[in-house]
Amino acid sequence: MNHIVYMSRAVRPLSDQDLQELLDQCRRDNALHNVTGVLFYSHGNIAQLIEGESSIIDPLYERISRDGRHSNVTQLVNKPIPSRSFPDWSMAFHPLESEGFTALGGFLLPNQVPPTPESLTIADALLVDLVRQAVFGADTPTTPSPSLA
Amino acid sequence: MHDHQLQSILRHMPAGIATLLGPELRYGFVNEAMQMLLGGATPTGEPLAEHTGGLAADLLEVMQQVYETGRPYVAKAYPFSAPDPTDGVVAKRYFDLALEPLHDENDEPQGLLLFAVDVTGQEEARQRAHELSLETRRLDARLRVLSETAPQITFSVDTSGQYEYVSPQWYYFTGQPPTADLNAIWPLLIHPDDRLRVLYQADAARAAGVGWSFEYRMRRHDGQYRWMLSRALPELHAPDKPVFWHGAVTEVHDQRELAEALRRGEAELRFLADSIPQLIWTATAEGFIDYYNQHTGDYTGLSAQELGPTGWVALLDPTEQAAAARRWVHCVASGDAYEGLYRMRRHDGQYRWHIIRARQLADSRGLRWFGACTDVDDQHRLREVLQTQYDELARTNRDLDTFVYTASHDLKQPLFNLRGLFEELRRTATFQDSEQEQLLEMVDESLRQLDGTLQELAATVQDQRELAAPTEDLDLRSVLEEVLLGLRTQVHEAQATIDLELSAAPTLVYGRANLRSVLHNLLSNALKFTHPARPAHVQIATSLSETGQPQLTVRDNGLGMELRQDPFTSFQLFERQNPQVAGAGVGLYLVQRILDSRGGHLEVTSTVGQGTTFTVHWFE
Repeated sequence: MNHIVYMSRAVRPLSDQDLQELLDQCRRDNALHNVTGVLFYSHGNIAQLIEGESSIIDPLYERISRDGRHSNVTQLVNKPIPSRSFPDWSMAFHPLESEGFTALGGFLLPNQVPPTPESLTIADALLVDLVRQAVFGADTPTTPSPSLA
Repeated sequence: MHDHQLQSILRHMPAGIATLLGPELRYGFVNEAMQMLLGGATPTGEPLAEHTGGLAADLLEVMQQVYETGRPYVAKAYPFSAPDPTDGVVAKRYFDLALEPLHDENDEPQGLLLFAVDVTGQEEARQRAHELSLETRRLDARLRVLSETAPQITFSVDTSGQYEYVSPQWYYFTGQPPTADLNAIWPLLIHPDDRLRVLYQADAARAAGVGWSFEYRMRRHDGQYRWMLSRALPELHAPDKPVFWHGAVTEVHDQRELAEALRRGEAELRFLADSIPQLIWTATAEGFIDYYNQHTGDYTGLSAQELGPTGWVALLDPTEQAAAARRWVHCVASGDAYEGLYRMRRHDGQYRWHIIRARQLADSRGLRWFGACTDVDDQHRLREVLQTQYDELARTNRDLDTFVYTASHDLKQPLFNLRGLFEELRRTATFQDSEQEQLLEMVDESLRQLDGTLQELAATVQDQRELAAPTEDLDLRSVLEEVLLGLRTQVHEAQATIDLELSAAPTLVYGRANLRSVLHNLLSNALKFTHPARPAHVQIATSLSETGQPQLTVRDNGLGMELRQDPFTSFQLFERQNPQVAGAGVGLYLVQRILDSRGGHLEVTSTVGQGTTFTVHWFE
């Protein structure tokens, strides 16, 4: 079991439509391949953590890094983990019209992102907190990670 | 019939045909095309001048001339407003008009044959071509201006590598005369170390039919070799048939030098960072560490890969990790400098104290973090050892005080007994020798001194314990009066006058017992060393120092004393100021101790036989 964290920049701003399609597509594919994790998006900044068997997520990351919708894809970590820290795959962003989204499975508003799971090591929790801060900015009130509390 | 057929053909010809007869050029035969051209009004037999049908005056004039001279004429591309033969829209059209004189059998002028052929298509094409050539000339001029003013050399070479064109900048740069043979000179101006490579690369690119981009050094007019960037692209006349290569040579010397200096600077900085026996690292604006120096690997036993962007936090003592991580997240968000004292694990598992510091640098290349972890373990341990020793010393000191206090107290009783026994002895025993009376006096005096010394010893220890007593706002006059009340016997004995002048600083924030002790010692001192020839006069005054701190002076008119060089040594414990006067010498030492502990000091001036002045600086 491995996890990969990367950050990237969207080539152009993603619309609500784009985001919803991305959410649908990723949830379907990730559920099929037993990939869990979380994706943060805001103002063109993207960060994602994915966890799963390396035979699955390594080629998945390869495909992601070649996706034309984003660039400057930087892998921050790719290493073995003892167990999963995320129950499923979800996505946090600020839609322009949040009405239609709140009911969608796997969708979160940035300030609803649950605290970074305690099963992560402090170094990994720090990494997740830093990417979340890098994507949403320091001002977004988020629940601090209990392992850092 | 034959004639009729001919007429029919002529009538329907797509070219305009008309005959104009007689000197008045009356309309004769006019076919359909010509009728259309002339606007339809061509009544046979009527003179042309009355039905011009849109023919301009100049043309009528020329027709007349042709009739008279008998010399044919063709007016090329003559403009008419005429309907288009296909859609009938009236527009400007062009015709070649042939004016042919007609003669009768006797060769006399009979009229004119007018023949009009529509050449509108040709004429428009000609005009377009003309406009195009004007535009081409304009573009060419613009291109020339651009290529000759741009700060780079532009050139064209053919497939064999012969220069077709080079912009004037080449001559400015190289200093070569305009007559120079480009193909011969250019290769010679390339730096000898680059020449073969450049010629080969250009040749290979031409052979492959592709463009090129390479850098080389070229000799400038002043003999200096400068780095140039040469780029060219082929002009293809068929997908695989390049005919020319057009390109530009740009001077990139300064950029290259700069880039080189930057590369060198970075390499040197990295080398420096790798040589320092500290943990040095840099981080991105988001807070991810992207560089650890050599020593980090040596100390931790982990590679940069293993440490990763946040792995440093796992090196800290487990109890400190969460707080350190939280602090780092906060610093990255706020830009505050990071600083902390942490234990960091060495490769052998030993934790050593480190000061971790990181600061943010914002410049044109964006935001970055620079950090260092300094091993302060030895200093930290040394401080701990010193602290332990200090604690032990303080404890010993306290024990010593207790011992002195106890001893002085315990000695009181035997002394008291001794005095009682001595009094009893004096009362019961009788002495013959008168000198023995004096001896008794001396014993008595010694006993009294011993008693005094013991009391002062006890007081010293007692007061030292009170050094750290809390301070309060004290009225100097009331404390002084209290002290003087205690000393009333001595005041009386010395017949002393005491003057108080406290208005400059009437109150003082100090420990009450300390203040009393200071005043008591200074006053009893002044009353003790009185001059036998005059009554004692003690002046006590307050004042403010230059920095506004309260001061107290006690001036007497007593015996005075010889001061040594260093005034502070005169108050060592048990040092007697005046051997002929009773006193244990503990008093001034005690005053000194109290003032020291509160951050002040004691100053003394004295003239033997005239008096002594003590100045108390309560605070510095």
